[in-house]
Amino acid sequence: MIVPPYLKKGDTVGIVCPSGFLPAKKVTDGIQILRSWGYQVRLGKTVGNQYHYFSGTDEERLADLQQMLDDPNIHAILCGRGGYGLSRIIDRISFRRFTKHPKWIIGFSDITVLHAYLYQRVGVASLHAPMLAAFSKKDLSSVFTLQKALAGKQQNHTCSPHAFNRVGTVSGPLIGGNLSLIAHLVGSRSALQTKGAILFLEDIGEYIYNIDRMLIQLKRSGIFNQLGGLVVGGFTDCKDTEIPFGSSAFEVIQHQINEFDFPVCFDFPVSHDTANVALKHGMPYQLSITNRKVLLKAL
Amino acid sequence: MKRSTFISSLVATGVLSTSSHTATAHATKRMPRKWKIPPHLKPGDAIGITCPSGFALAEDVAPAIQYLQSWGLEVVVGNTVGKKDHTFGGTDQERAEDFQNMINRSDLKAILCAHGGYGAVRIIDQLDFSPFKKYPKWVIGFSDITVFHSHLHAYVGVASLHAKMAEGFPSDPSKFEPVQFQALESIRKALFGEPLQYTVPAQVRNRIGEASGILIGGNLKMIETLAATNSDIDTRDKIFFVEDVGEALYSIDRMFCNLQRSGKLSHLKALIVGSFTNIRPDDPKEPFGKTIYDIVWEQVKSYDYPVCFDFSVGHQKNNVALKCGVPHRLSVTDTNSVLTEIQHP
Repeated sequence: MIVPPYLKKGDTVGIVCPSGFLPAKKVTDGIQILRSWGYQVRLGKTVGNQYHYFSGTDEERLADLQQMLDDPNIHAILCGRGGYGLSRIIDRISFRRFTKHPKWIIGFSDITVLHAYLYQRVGVASLHAPMLAAFSKKDLSSVFTLQKALAGKQQNHTCSPHAFNRVGTVSGPLIGGNLSLIAHLVGSRSALQTKGAILFLEDIGEYIYNIDRMLIQLKRSGIFNQLGGLVVGGFTDCKDTEIPFGSSAFEVIQHQINEFDFPVCFDFPVSHDTANVALKHGMPYQLSITNRKVLLKAL
Repeated sequence: MKRSTFISSLVATGVLSTSSHTATAHATKRMPRKWKIPPHLKPGDAIGITCPSGFALAEDVAPAIQYLQSWGLEVVVGNTVGKKDHTFGGTDQERAEDFQNMINRSDLKAILCAHGGYGAVRIIDQLDFSPFKKYPKWVIGFSDITVFHSHLHAYVGVASLHAKMAEGFPSDPSKFEPVQFQALESIRKALFGEPLQYTVPAQVRNRIGEASGILIGGNLKMIETLAATNSDIDTRDKIFFVEDVGEALYSIDRMFCNLQRSGKLSHLKALIVGSFTNIRPDDPKEPFGKTIYDIVWEQVKSYDYPVCFDFSVGHQKNNVALKCGVPHRLSVTDTNSVLTEIQHP
């Protein structure tokens, strides 16, 4: 796994929207904060651009991202927002120049498609971290974890014990992201291979029955068979059917992984909510879960 | 673990390899190449009704029982009909036992699922289909029952019937629309072995052509969520059909990306696009801006097989019976599209 260089003062962060449309006015807080960290900011053409649902046609989004990937004067790429759209262009992105000048690619949600591709096909670590909407929130604590991650500062993440946790300690590459997209990638050329890995999952706005179905898909495709550990993040704004499914998202997950014995923690601060700490995707971590605490430590 | 040893262990486990194989953790069993066609039914034969997914009340299946009896069939109502465990037709164990019992009974010639919803994938790996080697029988349903069609196709090697379920048999024949009659008739014809042929009007976005191949398909969401499992269908050289209900356009687009990226669109004989009903409305501020036709076309324009839109399969009254795992011929012309079952190939 290639680790991109951490950022120095004066380095440039490029902002692109490879998926959904992001109005230009939503970028101002982010630009200000990134500058306050000592970075220059370059806006891609897709920021504020709109093509129906998307931030541009496939060609426009691809060209913008490609240009940022190839430009050696861009030191990190912050995706403006998720939504949907990376699946449409992922197989057309060239990482040839990027691997010569690797840089941190930052985002989550739909950006899971990019993280998975970088891990499975390119071999470059990336940052699962807040995007621009988070920079306008009152609580910037998760955004500050991104600041530290970009600067290369070692960070440990903790969370409170949860009744469903399974104790244990494991080390391995940390990979994962949005459950819907991890499931969507199964069977494709960028499906995650999870042997020995620590997998983290989060999602938003999903029906409970669909979470159950996706967990079964992951299970039946073998993703849990040789998994090192599981980090369950937030499942925000879950939906339910008219006749309730009868379990919560966490209960569904606990039930589906009951037959395995890898360590698991629930309610870890990775989510579509405010709690969404920066995680170095593809990098080695140690996950240790006891009855009293949960610690995720970068190695 | 030190980073250097960590990285070398990644290389050893193949994580860093850039080979192009897809994640097929299940590749332990070879996929069937031939699909056993269950014997067709004769008057006096027995058919079971069961709920492998969502629940159905006794009154929901009453019209179906009447119909099946009027066709001269004996109806065996499974224990799960009328059972309810939250949204399911009984607990996983109850649903699996009921279905297994229907698999095992040599007197049953077909299994009609009562309702779709959700739940088949929770029990599919618990079922033992080995009695199907001796006594293959027609499994009938659609939507969530796509799990069965895919599993029978990819894992068991037996043909099945993609058709309306027991709850879909209308209760008042006097209010029948012709298409409802056609849908019911198609099930009867399929079960009794009368040749099937469907004609749908030409659609301007169709791609003209003719093709023959084994028919397989079903609910798009289910096909996506079965990817890389032991129920994942191989669509190579097949006539492939898809339909869905209640999905947002972006989600349908994403599912077609999944079909494309998992290689399911690249070696087809033909593609049949059924109905996509009750599409979830877009956010008016950012409409998706593409129709179903656009979404499909973008994914198939680089191939040259025939494509038929608006076929009569899906969550609608006009949902005709389709035999999965059975050879068909599709002819798409500028006047109409005709799908014909090839009997005794």
